Amino acid sequence: MTEQAEWVRQLRVEFVAAWAIAKKDMIIYYLKPNIIVSGMLFPLFMFLAFAVGRPGEPSIMIPGLIAITILFSASSIEPVSIPIERRMKTFDRLISAPVSLHAVVLGESLSGFLYSIAIALVPFIAGIVIFATPVVNPAPLIIGILLTSFCFATMGTLFASYPTESPGDIMSMLNVVRLPLIFISGIFIPVESIPAIAQFVVYFSPLTYGNDLIHAAYSGTTAFNPLVDITMLIVFILLFQCAANRLYKQFND
Amino acid sequence: MNAIEVSHLTKNFGQLVALNDVNFSVAEGETFGFLGPNGAGKTTTIRILTGITVPTSGDATIFGRHIVTETISARRQMGIVHETSNIYTDLSSWQNLMFTAALYNVSKAEREKRGQELLELFGLWERKNEKTNGFSKGMKRRLTLAMGLINNPRLVFLDEPTSGLDVQSNLIIRDVIRDLNAQGVTVFLTTHNIEEANLTCDRVAIINRGRIAAIDSPEKLKKTIQSVQSVEVALDPVPHRAEEELRGIATVSEVRKLGDKFQLFTEAPPAVIAGVMAYAEQQHTRVISVNTFGPSLEDVFIRLTGIETRHHGVKTVD
Ligand SMILES: Nc1ncnc2c1ncn2[C@@H]1O[C@H](COP(=O)(O)OP(=O)(O)O)[C@@H](O)[C@H]1O
Ligand SMILES: [Mg+2]
Repeated sequence: MTEQAEWVRQLRVEFVAAWAIAKKDMIIYYLKPNIIVSGMLFPLFMFLAFAVGRPGEPSIMIPGLIAITILFSASSIEPVSIPIERRMKTFDRLISAPVSLHAVVLGESLSGFLYSIAIALVPFIAGIVIFATPVVNPAPLIIGILLTSFCFATMGTLFASYPTESPGDIMSMLNVVRLPLIFISGIFIPVESIPAIAQFVVYFSPLTYGNDLIHAAYSGTTAFNPLVDITMLIVFILLFQCAANRLYKQFND
Repeated sequence: MNAIEVSHLTKNFGQLVALNDVNFSVAEGETFGFLGPNGAGKTTTIRILTGITVPTSGDATIFGRHIVTETISARRQMGIVHETSNIYTDLSSWQNLMFTAALYNVSKAEREKRGQELLELFGLWERKNEKTNGFSKGMKRRLTLAMGLINNPRLVFLDEPTSGLDVQSNLIIRDVIRDLNAQGVTVFLTTHNIEEANLTCDRVAIINRGRIAAIDSPEKLKKTIQSVQSVEVALDPVPHRAEEELRGIATVSEVRKLGDKFQLFTEAPPAVIAGVMAYAEQQHTRVISVNTFGPSLEDVFIRLTGIETRHHGVKTVD
């Protein structure tokens, strides 16, 4: 009994600490006008890249745009903030606090998660206001934005475990992964149209499931069952969380 | 139960042996100093005792909790002041303190009360809402200490708390360490400054190249240290048998020739200076310069261990 109470108590402590870490990141790293504005410009440029010379159906374009926006914004906070904290040695504070590394990883990811949700609202609102794109089913949209954001925020934290004090090092590693993801996730080329021999890589991209789920909200048609999308996104989140926890522990030495 | 118990602690970084079979214990309520030159292994010891780094071999417990297997529960007992003043310079002192309090699960009411007390204690209350990027080095250090104490720890780790600080900050910090000790808090501090260890610690461990050379009270260690003070003199002209004759001055234990100067080791520099003056007059030579030097850690270390370190120069204590 008392052992279980202690366990529950510590869990609460871990969440309080994670939230404190997320709040600190928000204040320090992105609740600043220039960061927010440049973050919001990203979907605009992506939109131009999408739309120019290829006037597509907004109901196809908007969900893809939301997915790509989330991929880039969610994973771009920790790869910057964590190397800076290493350089300033404030990172030592986080990894010497009386909480597990899971709480630190979660806290860091939470800040990218919240940032990404805010930025994802830009293509979402543009879809409604400018293109009058109807949302057929809001549930997959909400779940899709939340899970995809959380998944890529955790991926950002995972990459930031690489023990460098320079954000550029992590950003370049991250781009090696992020850019190909766009092309193998059914955003430009529908999953069904990808040649069978290449199709298996599609299943290894969390963006496939995020994009599919968000598509369900707009067109009602999907490549996978939404429950498969949700399950796979959760699996990726847990995978990234555990891998990050392990790597931070290993790289502390 | 001891606050800290360390047995056979070894830490390797690749080929480098940063800590080599270190053993010591710190009683609850004690102020314990780790005295050693740069690279001795002081910070590595603190990083192991705070659970940031895992030892290669050996064990350490904090109030009976094993630091590797019961890390979180061990950490709840401690406050940590890292070697670098690692504050968030985009946040105010108050925000920095409240953030640390949240990491340490200090209740809201408690953290606000304690936060105000600490900022007043460290002379930062008036500027509590100011971003800390404009703070002086000393102010940043004081805030780092305040953050290390926000959770009312039973044990505080201070990694070079006063190194390179202004006099005012130094005095405040030393007072705080003494107050903590009076309140029964266990203090583990590292320093490369003999005087600091002497002023603040109940017991001191001398560490060099990852090995502990001696653990004792400052009084006892100082006895060893006294005999390595020195007087450096330059004479013009230099008498023919100067080196030999200077050795004859009372209390001089050893004479070394350093270029055109002589270094006279002694426990009593004033008496030696008087002796040198008398010698110069008798030899009809001029004393161009006289300097006295305190013992260096290096010398104490050589004396304690017989291990020759990098060079043999005698420096003043900073
Ligand atoms: N992470 C590390 N990787 C490799 N070598 C390290 C690391 N940390 C410390 N060292 C080495 O271990 C030795 C002890 O360092 P440290 O404990 O920081 O000394 P001190 O704090 O006494 O100045 C030094 O030679 C240092 O270069
Ligand atoms: Mg050090």
